[in-house]
Amino acid sequence: MSKIETIGLRKSYGSNEVLKGLDVSVAEGEVVCVIGPSGSGKSTFLRCLNKLEDITGGTVKVDGFDLTDPKVNLNEVRQHIGMVFQHFNLFPHMSVLDNIMLAPVQLKKAPKAEVRKTALALLDRVGLSDKADARPAQLSGGQKQRVAIARALAMQPDIMLFDEATSALDPEMVGEVLQVIRDLAREGMTMVVVTHEMGFAREVADRVIFMADGHIVEENTPDLLFGSPQAPRLQDFLAKVL
Amino acid sequence: MLKGKRALKGPARLAVPLTTFLAALALLLGIPAAGAFAADGVEGETFAIGTDTTFAPFEFRQDGELVGIDMDLLNAIAEEEGFNVDIQSLGFDAALQSLQSNQVDGVIAGMSITDERKKVFDFSDPYFESGIQMAVAENNDDVASYEDLRGKRVAVKTGTEGQTFAESIKDQYGFDVVAFAQSAQMYDDVKAGGSVAVFDDYPVLAYGVASGNGLKTVTEKEAGSSYGFAVNKGTNAELLAAFNEGLAELKDSGQYDEILDTYLEAGAADSSFWSLITDNAPAFAKGMGWTLLATALSLFFALILGVFFGFLKVGSSRILRGIATIYVSIFRGTPVLVQAFFFYFGLPQIIGQPVDVLTAGVLTLSLNAGAYMTEIVRGGIQSVDPGQMEAARSLGLGYGKTMQKVIIPQAIKIMTPSFINQFVITLKDTSLLAVIGFAELTYQGQQIYAVNFRTAEVLIIVAALYFIVITLLTKLADVLDKRFNK
Repeated sequence: MSKIETIGLRKSYGSNEVLKGLDVSVAEGEVVCVIGPSGSGKSTFLRCLNKLEDITGGTVKVDGFDLTDPKVNLNEVRQHIGMVFQHFNLFPHMSVLDNIMLAPVQLKKAPKAEVRKTALALLDRVGLSDKADARPAQLSGGQKQRVAIARALAMQPDIMLFDEATSALDPEMVGEVLQVIRDLAREGMTMVVVTHEMGFAREVADRVIFMADGHIVEENTPDLLFGSPQAPRLQDFLAKVL
Repeated sequence: MLKGKRALKGPARLAVPLTTFLAALALLLGIPAAGAFAADGVEGETFAIGTDTTFAPFEFRQDGELVGIDMDLLNAIAEEEGFNVDIQSLGFDAALQSLQSNQVDGVIAGMSITDERKKVFDFSDPYFESGIQMAVAENNDDVASYEDLRGKRVAVKTGTEGQTFAESIKDQYGFDVVAFAQSAQMYDDVKAGGSVAVFDDYPVLAYGVASGNGLKTVTEKEAGSSYGFAVNKGTNAELLAAFNEGLAELKDSGQYDEILDTYLEAGAADSSFWSLITDNAPAFAKGMGWTLLATALSLFFALILGVFFGFLKVGSSRILRGIATIYVSIFRGTPVLVQAFFFYFGLPQIIGQPVDVLTAGVLTLSLNAGAYMTEIVRGGIQSVDPGQMEAARSLGLGYGKTMQKVIIPQAIKIMTPSFINQFVITLKDTSLLAVIGFAELTYQGQQIYAVNFRTAEVLIIVAALYFIVITLLTKLADVLDKRFNK
């Protein structure tokens, strides 16, 4: 069974249709990278997968829950989907550790000491154990994004969504963040990654989706998609970015 | 205080037939009727009496106490007749409005008995024969008669006999009339040269000149009308009867002349700027106390209103957003002064219940500041990066938890400077409540300079007091802001 499945997914802002009927299926443990020019709708597509955007048409099923069904408890479903944003969106009024602990403390009945232990382990995993008491403002961009990943992992999700997680970073910090994502892929996490890093997509993705103008233009294994692109739009795009 | 009086009234009414009976009995038996007996139904009762804020020598403040011919007469009569008075120093216009809306039982305010007023009020026997006199600035030797007024401007006090007289001769002598709400403003306008002369009641002018108000009288007193004590038409007949009887007693005993002489012969002792402060320190302190109390209460309620309506404004319900928007529009779109008048004079007519001046003032400022607070709260919440809401919701936190843990703490930090700003505005706005007779700092200042005519000095002291308190409280708020909103 697919972990994520969209059927005829449509999204409009007023009269502007951004997603024009997407059928995508992601299997458990699969890493799917989404690429495409700006304005192609790839971020909007990602944001529909945990319903940060209202869905105009079609269905989105995650773990068998239909997100377009008003009876589905979205907060419950979202606890299983970690999301990492381009601009980190760390909570500036809390320490790094509190950022990570907020959701588990509020939503899990686990004792605080236990949550704290898990949070510290996550910080260690992203290589920032010495920053537990720092404020987000004291961190570099790469460090912020690694904290954001640790925060998203704190609810022990089985799906991770990355929305251009390295686009706002200085070039020398991209590597440290990609390394964390690479490790997650290796551990078998189901992931949908919207990215501009073609080399990274080619390396970690099981499958790459190329979007343009709200459509899926081409999807394939990274070797075939990058090696022998079929659609002229994709050939054109790759010629520009590679 | 008014409520207490009304509560008393029931049993007191029941007592009327009994006292009447006793009085009749006393008469039959040839026992001389005691004063307290004859005008019955008032003994032991407390009446709310409205008066002007300052109309020296009839009513003005001396060392914080309200004194003057009206006050001394009223107190002497009340003592004579065995009733109590609760003096409410409201200002002339406000006192009459309060009487019409039954907020007070009677008004004594150096008020001339006119046919116009007799239509809405019942008057006592005249207690003072007044007359109009013209005065000019001390150093003005050009204006000595009505003929010299041609093409000039003349100051009067709104609704006084002086105004009536000035209006009646202005066409004949070709001058303009400008009306002021308070005597001190009128005198200052003449001293400052805005108007060349003032028409006022002779006792007022005599007292002012004797106190060094910088004017001199230049004409003989015009035969004028008489002053009377008023009750609302068809009400408080016992009170009126008691007043008339007490007045007659005072005239017989000679106490009446004593009271008049006290004020009309009065001279003012000159004093330094420093003693102006020390002499009036109790009044300033009292005024500042009321100012701070009204500010604190108003801000407390404004904060509740602001948070409540602010949340409605950022919420998803279109109807609730609309309600909040209407609230804000009404209170931001109308002047505070109109709101204050409405809650003090208008609301009692709607609810049929008197509204005391503190309640009306706090109501005004709470609702007014609450509208601005609503916008501050809305702006604060909306200026938090939308990514914060998305990040929290993507973790599975609900809307309420997200607000509480993520959005509000950041919004408070953004809102704090605006809150401090609103706090300063509200504190300064309390000065507007002087117009409904709320005894705050500005009002106290008006009381003081209306008696001693040292307008500039008193206003400088009042302004300095506001400045000091606002500066200190702003500094304190900044320190707290830095400590808690790091």
